[in-house]
Amino acid sequence: MNFIGLLAALTAFFSIWFGHVAVRKIESVSPTIWLPTLIFLVLGLIVEILSLSMVNRLWSVAFGILGITLLFEALELRRQQKRVKKGHAPANPNNPRHAKILAEHSSATILDLLKRDPIGHVISSDESTHLLSTF
Amino acid sequence: MNYFGLLISITTLFIIGLGFPLVIHGERIFGFLWWPYMMGTGVLLIIASLLIHVDWISALIGVLGATFVWGSTELKEQAVRAELGWYPFNPSKLRSPFESIIKKWRAPHL
Repeated sequence: MNFIGLLAALTAFFSIWFGHVAVRKIESVSPTIWLPTLIFLVLGLIVEILSLSMVNRLWSVAFGILGITLLFEALELRRQQKRVKKGHAPANPNNPRHAKILAEHSSATILDLLKRDPIGHVISSDESTHLLSTF
Repeated sequence: MNYFGLLISITTLFIIGLGFPLVIHGERIFGFLWWPYMMGTGVLLIIASLLIHVDWISALIGVLGATFVWGSTELKEQAVRAELGWYPFNPSKLRSPFESIIKKWRAPHL
């Protein structure tokens, strides 16, 4: 039995999950984008250096995958902001940066349009808004 | 310096990148009700990785498995995106085996 694949799988799954949730949350509440981007970037680089300095392959793989996902999350913060501008992710009116986006982009919305089950056909945005209130 | 983790993680980035079209096209062709099959494929890949003695192949098969498991939790949300017109919607999807049973289960979303 070789556990390196299982370790790589678990590290990848949980760091993607963590990153997925953290990016959405942090982008929503942070007044700036550059600060969390810088933090993810620095953390990612530190973890990659740790990976390079590990003698054991298991640790090297675990830190390597964690580090690369942290670096990817640094990029995702900006992509998440673009989603907010398009209305593909909900804007947080209490966040000054999002309040500005809401004022400048008519497509932006405070609704989370994805927070429902699929219904099996294409629907208009009005129908979608109505549907959200039933979930 | 141990480059093993770095090389595996850069390849991991490409494998996770494959997850995006996998979910988009998978949902369009099959529909989100195939999620248990996608999840099962991922679990089987991870089990297979246990039996591979070459470390780098085992690690990459494990990551591929994790990508399938993660993708299976994204299918439901992708189905909603297609319904909203953010992605092309296919009205005649392939029906999954045991669809009526799968419909009773709550599709995972993380």
